Amino acid sequence: MNYLLFICSSEPTPAEEIAVMQREVEGWVTEMDGRGVRLLGAPLQGPGAAVTVRVRDGETLLSDGPFAETKEHIAGFDVIDCADLDEAIEVASKHPVAWFKSIEIRPFAPGLELGPQAPAFARDEWAEGQAHCLMMCVDGIPGPPAQEAQIMRDGLAWAADLRERGLQVLGHPLEHRETATTVRVRNGETLVTDGPFAETAEFIAGLDVISGASLQEAISAAAAHPLARVHRVEVRPFWKM
Amino acid sequence: MSGDAVTEAVDRAFREEWGRVVATLIRRTGDWDLAEECVAEAFAEALRSWPRAGVPQRPGAWLTTVAGNRAVDRLRRRARGERLLAQSAAELLTHAQAVEERVDELVAPEGEIADDRLRLIFTCCHVALPLEARVALTLRMLCGLSTAQIARAFLVSEATMAKRLTRAKHKIAAAGIPYRVPDAHLLPARTGGVLAVLYLMFNEGYAASAGDELIRTALCDEAIRLARLLHLLMPDEPEVMGLLALLLLQHSRRDARLDAGGELITLGRQDRSRWHAQEVSEGLELLEAALALRAPGNYQLQAAIAACHARAASARLTDWPQIAALYELLQEFNGSPVVTLNRAVALSMSGDPQAAASLLARLHAEGTLESYHLLHATDAELLRSSGRLEDARAALTRAIELAPTPAERRLLVRRNADLGGAPQAPGGGCGSP
Repeated sequence: MNYLLFICSSEPTPAEEIAVMQREVEGWVTEMDGRGVRLLGAPLQGPGAAVTVRVRDGETLLSDGPFAETKEHIAGFDVIDCADLDEAIEVASKHPVAWFKSIEIRPFAPGLELGPQAPAFARDEWAEGQAHCLMMCVDGIPGPPAQEAQIMRDGLAWAADLRERGLQVLGHPLEHRETATTVRVRNGETLVTDGPFAETAEFIAGLDVISGASLQEAISAAAAHPLARVHRVEVRPFWKM
Repeated sequence: MSGDAVTEAVDRAFREEWGRVVATLIRRTGDWDLAEECVAEAFAEALRSWPRAGVPQRPGAWLTTVAGNRAVDRLRRRARGERLLAQSAAELLTHAQAVEERVDELVAPEGEIADDRLRLIFTCCHVALPLEARVALTLRMLCGLSTAQIARAFLVSEATMAKRLTRAKHKIAAAGIPYRVPDAHLLPARTGGVLAVLYLMFNEGYAASAGDELIRTALCDEAIRLARLLHLLMPDEPEVMGLLALLLLQHSRRDARLDAGGELITLGRQDRSRWHAQEVSEGLELLEAALALRAPGNYQLQAAIAACHARAASARLTDWPQIAALYELLQEFNGSPVVTLNRAVALSMSGDPQAAASLLARLHAEGTLESYHLLHATDAELLRSSGRLEDARAALTRAIELAPTPAERRLLVRRNADLGGAPQAPGGGCGSP
C-alpha cells in the first residue's frame, strides 16, 4: 500500500532538536531507500513561502500563507510503499522528526502512479525554484453530485495535461482524513493516535507535485485545477537540499 | 423438534459461534462488511432450516460453511455487476481473476485450525483506531452484540454508534490495518488495549448494563477464554495474568449473586460456599505469580482487591483497610472516579466514615458520577449509618431512578423498604414476574 507521510513541524524548535533531526534524517532516508520503502520525498519551504490560490467568478485570488493556521505545519512529505499500516507506523516512528514533532500517515487512494518527473525528483535532480507542491484543500462537505463528478472529470484531464507536458512528479487523491493516523515518539515510546496531526476545518484531500515549472507557472496550474473553483489550492516550493 | 428448542439452539450458537465464524470469514474474504452480512444470513438460514433438518452436530462448522457459500455467491454476483460496468477487456479480466482468487481461497479446505478470534481481537483493538471504536468493534464483531445494544452500553444514540462502527471498519480497510496478531516486538505494546477491551466485554456480561438478562455467562466465558489465549501467547505478561485472575475471581461468584427468584444478592450477603472454589484458587495462583514479577498494574491491583474478598471466610472477616489501601494504590494506575467511589465504600466499611464522606463530597463536586446510581446508593448507606434516615431514603430514591437494570432497581427498592421507604419504585416495573 502507498502512504503519504506528512512531516509536521512547529515553531519554535530548539537548536539542539534541529541539530538531531538534521543529523539523523540522512540515515532514515538511506535505510528506507535501501528497504525499497521510500519512493520519494522532500522538505518544503516554510509556511511563509506558501501561496493559497482560489478562483471565484473566473477571477484568480491569491493570498499569502498556508491554507490553515495551525500550531503545527507541514514541513515536508515522503511517499512510502509498505505492506500495511503497522509497517508504515514503524517507518514513521524511525523518522527523527517523530521524536520531537509529529508525522501523519495518510493512505493514498488505490492505484498510485508516479509521473514522468518522479525518477529525477527522487534523485534530487531538479533546479532550484522549479519544484512545487500543490495541496488540494477541501472542507469535506460534498457538493452536489453533478458538481463532484465534473470536478473529478476535470481533475483527471488536468493531471493528464501536466503529465503530457512532462511536469508531473506525483498527482493522486488521498483517502479521507478519517483514515489518518498520527505517530509521535516520546521517551522511546511510539505513541499512535487516530486522526490527523491537527483538527482543522479544511484538510488536504490530494497532493500534486510538479517539477520544471516556475512559481508563477505553478500558481497558474493551481488556478487551472477544478478544485480551485470551489475550494483552495496551496502552492509551496520545495527546499533544495 | 420444537420451535423453542431450535430457537434456543440458534441462540446458543449465536453466543458461542458468532465471533469465531465472523473471524474466519474476515480472514477468508478480507471484507468485514461482507463477512458480517454473510454470517448474519447463515444464522437466519439456521432459524429456517434447523426446525426441519435438526440442529447440526457441529453448529459452528455448519454456520461457517453456509456463511462461506453466501460469500462465494455474493462475490460472484458482485463480479457479474462489475463485468457489466467494466469498460475494457483488460479490466474485465482483472476483475474476474481477482474474484476467482478470492473464491478459490474461500472454497479451499481449512488447513490448521487457528483461532481467528485472536487475530480479530488484535485488529479490532488496533492502536490506530479510537479507543471507543475498538471496544464497540470487538463487541460487535466478536460477541455479536447489536449496534443498539452497544449504543446503550456506551450511552450514545444508535446512529452515533453505527457511524463509529462504519468509520472504524472503513479505516481498517482504507488505511491497511493488518488482520493478524502483531509480531513479537509489537506484542507487549499492543496488549494493553486488548486487555481493556476484554475487561469491558466481561463487565458487559457480568453487569449487563441494560436489559433483564442479568448474567450473560457466554460473554464472561468469552472474555475469560480470550484472556486465557492471551496468557498462553504472552505467559510472562503480568497484566494479562492480572486480568485473567480478576475475571476468574469475579466469575467464581456467579452462582451466589442471584437468589432463587433471580434477584441480585450483594457481596456481603452471598453464600460463600457457592463460590466456585476451583476458579478462586486458579485466580489466586495467577495473581500470586503476577505479583511475583514485581510490575504492578491496573488489573493486578483490581485482582488483589477481588482476592481480599475471595480469601475472607465471611463478609465480617473482610480486610477492608487492606482493600481501601489497594484502591488508593489503584488510583495511580486508573483515574476513573468509580475507583474513588469504591475507595469511599472501603473506607466506610473499615470504620472511617469521615474519610469516606469527604471522598464522596469530592465526587459530587466533580460531578462526573451524578447519573451513576451507585454514587447515590453509597450516599444512602453512609447517611443510614449516621442515622439520617430521611436523607438516606432521598438518596436511595435517586439511585432507584438511575438504576440501569430492573434487577438492580429491585435490589435498591428492597433496601429502601428496609429503611421504611416506599415499597414500590416509581415506574420501576417491579410487577413483572
